[in-house]
Amino acid sequence: MSTRYHAIVIGGGHNGLVCAAYLARAGRRTLVLERRPRVGGAAVSEEVFPGFKFSVFSYVVSLLRPEIVRELELPRHGLHILPLESTLTPLPNGDYLASWADHDRNRRELYRHSPRDAEAYDDFGRLMHHMAMAVKPILGMIPPDPTSLRPSDLRGLLRLRRHFAALGEERLYALYKLMTMSSADFLDEWFESEPLKATKSASGIIGTFLGPRSPGTAYVLLHHYVGEIDGVFRAWGFAKGGTGAISEAIASAARGFGAEIRVDAPVAKVLVRDGRGYGVALENGDEILADVVVSGLDPRRTFLELLEPRALPDELVEAVRRYRFRGSSGKVNLALSELPNFTCLPGAGAHLRGAISISPSVAYLERAYEDAKYGEFSRRPYLDVMLPSMIDPGMAPPGKHVMSIFVQYAPYHVNGGWTDASRDAFGDAVIDTLAEYAPNLRSTIIHRQVLTPLDIERATGLSEGNIFQGELALQQLFFLRPAPAWAQYRTPVENVYQCGAGTHPGGGIMGASGRLAALRILSDRGGNQRGTAA
Amino acid sequence: MSYDAIIIGAGLNGLTAAAYLARAGRRVLVLERRDAIGGLAATEELIPGFRFDTCLHDVGWIPPGLLRELRLERHGLELLRSDIAVFAPDGDGGGLTLGRGARAADAVRALSPRDAEKWGEFNALMSRLARVLAALYDEEPPRPTSAATRDLLALGLLGLRIRSLGRRGMVELLRMLPMPVADLLDDWFENDALKGVLAGRGVTELLQGPRSSGTSFVLLHHYLGSDGDGLRGRTAVRGGAGRLAEALAAAAREHGAEVRCGADVARIIVNDGSATGVVLRDGTEITAGQVLSSADPRRTLLELGDPLELDPDFVRATRNFRYRGATARVHLALGELPRFRGLKGHAPLTGTISIAPNVNYLERAYDDAKHGGVSGRPYLEASIPSLLDPSLSPAGQHVLSISVQYAPYRLNGGWTAERREALADAAIATLASYAPNLPDAILDRRVLSPADLEQEYGAPEGSLDHGELTLDQILFMRPVAGWAHYRTPIHNLFLCGAGTHPGGRVAGGAGRLAAGAVLRKAR
Repeated sequence: MSTRYHAIVIGGGHNGLVCAAYLARAGRRTLVLERRPRVGGAAVSEEVFPGFKFSVFSYVVSLLRPEIVRELELPRHGLHILPLESTLTPLPNGDYLASWADHDRNRRELYRHSPRDAEAYDDFGRLMHHMAMAVKPILGMIPPDPTSLRPSDLRGLLRLRRHFAALGEERLYALYKLMTMSSADFLDEWFESEPLKATKSASGIIGTFLGPRSPGTAYVLLHHYVGEIDGVFRAWGFAKGGTGAISEAIASAARGFGAEIRVDAPVAKVLVRDGRGYGVALENGDEILADVVVSGLDPRRTFLELLEPRALPDELVEAVRRYRFRGSSGKVNLALSELPNFTCLPGAGAHLRGAISISPSVAYLERAYEDAKYGEFSRRPYLDVMLPSMIDPGMAPPGKHVMSIFVQYAPYHVNGGWTDASRDAFGDAVIDTLAEYAPNLRSTIIHRQVLTPLDIERATGLSEGNIFQGELALQQLFFLRPAPAWAQYRTPVENVYQCGAGTHPGGGIMGASGRLAALRILSDRGGNQRGTAA
Repeated sequence: MSYDAIIIGAGLNGLTAAAYLARAGRRVLVLERRDAIGGLAATEELIPGFRFDTCLHDVGWIPPGLLRELRLERHGLELLRSDIAVFAPDGDGGGLTLGRGARAADAVRALSPRDAEKWGEFNALMSRLARVLAALYDEEPPRPTSAATRDLLALGLLGLRIRSLGRRGMVELLRMLPMPVADLLDDWFENDALKGVLAGRGVTELLQGPRSSGTSFVLLHHYLGSDGDGLRGRTAVRGGAGRLAEALAAAAREHGAEVRCGADVARIIVNDGSATGVVLRDGTEITAGQVLSSADPRRTLLELGDPLELDPDFVRATRNFRYRGATARVHLALGELPRFRGLKGHAPLTGTISIAPNVNYLERAYDDAKHGGVSGRPYLEASIPSLLDPSLSPAGQHVLSISVQYAPYRLNGGWTAERREALADAAIATLASYAPNLPDAILDRRVLSPADLEQEYGAPEGSLDHGELTLDQILFMRPVAGWAHYRTPIHNLFLCGAGTHPGGRVAGGAGRLAAGAVLRKAR
């Protein structure tokens, strides 16, 4: 191969694509190599069953950084986000708790369950808004290393201290509480209604192997609050055409800037000589040379597979081995002949255009976790259900529907290992759980696809099926993500960088890791034309 | 009669504060509701002839500065130290004995040579990190938002102290604090028994399981004051924990403090936003320049004080302070020592006898409590203080006290005498599965549920730490963010109990720092 690139990005997931787009935008000859036949990684849309299109893995978007949408002009490349307008929590007693986009309607609904909670709700929303504003700049920042005395790190730390000081005492303390508390305790300070607390605390457990009563989960709750679409906090949405459309839009932007994207091109190794990376070797033996190699894969794959661990510092290898993935969620995708009919709210109402959350109480979620703690999938799991075809009719044949069910907990390390039989049993538990609230569900299912964490790992390459490339736990965040001293997108191998969700800030379809990595590369190698680290 | 300072409660912290204030020349009166001093550090003859540390399993870490400054040994304090920290019977005629030095390393080697290789390094690291903790516990909490020179200096010193751990130590400290203790132990060790024992130390007094985040921090407490070669050995007080209270009281009296028992404070008198004294249950009014309360924050501010005097946000924050006691105490008078299967000699029994065979055992015990039940197979920490101090029981006989976890304060259906006794039966049966002669050796027993600990000894919701020691409730967050420096919104009313920094596992720590804050204010 004679062509030499400025940069090769390994992995065409959304972070890899974002990184490539920024590099190409800065005039770098950039090549993206994707193992699968299509880009997107875990953000893909596939016609799993004829006529039925699914956001196979990742299914909602809220965290995509607005600066990326803006700077890469994603709407021009086909990105169109349709808002999710409600969340319905059906209850075992036949009642429900709904949350609506309309403020007054929402308040009336809350009032029905607890006047006190209805009163507290706006204050809570304000607090979370302020908290999200407080962490937002941190999400756009290359994390300084507090153990380092380098001027750039000291400057970063100073900036961080100034940022925190500017928050004022009250907000700083509130932020500290959010970082250290359990989501259940945090919500207990505000609300009394169980379904409300449970549905909110559910976002604190997503992607973690913790229950809502474990400290540290309030942060994950906040992480999910930071999402914004068009500047509106806490607005979740669905991409027209499925989450794959987001990846396609970013890929199109990257191509527009001149990047080349090659699919069906699995990388076997990063080529290293004398401690410097100079290209990659594909699994078919081809070698492609580049000045810079960026891995969008998770830390385990990057450091222990693509690179040669023996050539890395022991401390880093140990830290990567300690870094926890522990995938805890699965996915069930259903093709339906007709809409499910929820006992609590019969008919095809507006509630079917939003999320449906099976989270009747905090104790329910804890019990679901208890199964997983001891190596079983939850017999009665937490479900986050959506009917994308209600929002985007293009996802299913006329009159028919697709249903996306995010399931937790499904531990990667399940007793006896995942088999076809246990996958089926897991799928049955999910259907049984949902059918308790929508009894017609079973008879409407034309096809079903059940994905265990092992399936997710096999399909997407995400280690242990962790959807965030590693748990969002305090000890794995910021300057510790993925490893101390190597949290600034560099690696010990010169010219080799990381840009996946296993780096700060990680998690969700956010793109921040990819962007920050690109900015890091551009500033390391001079000639940064456009865009600076916030 | 007027005093410079009234101190509510003659527990370790109240007496410590009294001693320091009196030493500085203040006229001090300590008011104790019960007929005896000691509070949670009570040592009582619960069964004729047998003296028990009623509430506390362990007096905790005693800051060296406190021992020195109040010359407690001159006031009759005698500490009895065992080199043994823990004995964990395995039920098959053996067990793990952990403490300091080479013997513990040998014990670990018998379980796992691989773990034995890491044991020394683990202890050295934990001790080094615990020294940072010890330094933090010796001073008022840092003020992260203050721009005052003094506070910035203190923060800077703290930063230097953390930096002095070296890069590796710093990273380990920052990484460890929020970690689940189960994960931390998985990083280091492979043996279930070893991990079980250590994980137990990470959840003591907490309504959390070893897989909950933040429990590594609690494990770190057990390395306070260890010399780097293992877990801190068990420390007992000759005559029982109550003697520590007596030594503190003696130190206070030496400097002229007055300690009055049977004096139940009903209300703190507040005039124009300033505390001026207290009213006793019998109506007696006593005035003072300052009032210090070692009662828990909620009781002090919302019951003894008047919530209407306080800002609603502050009241809400005080209500949100979590206590959540999770421990019951079972006291047994024994005709003979329990004979653990296969154990030769009883030296290991001078430590804590720990029943936490593995991490999942603890986690399951927690699951029961999380849903408001008592653990079916509880986590036990038992001790036989009469082995170190024969004066506690008649010759040849012994006292055995068991801390039983998890016994949640908020038990479904509430605590009744039957449920309390059932819990004791379960605890004894669990222990008897390792020491079969135990049931027959029992002469008599007394059981205290978390509700009893609250009712009789003022442990709020049964919390012996006066509030959970979790990351969100320590340092500048304890008990209320912005009010962590012993002052309260009521002028001249101070908190000096374990509900303030450094909390319940440092004997007299809060009292000493609170007195410092009061004295500094006067300067």
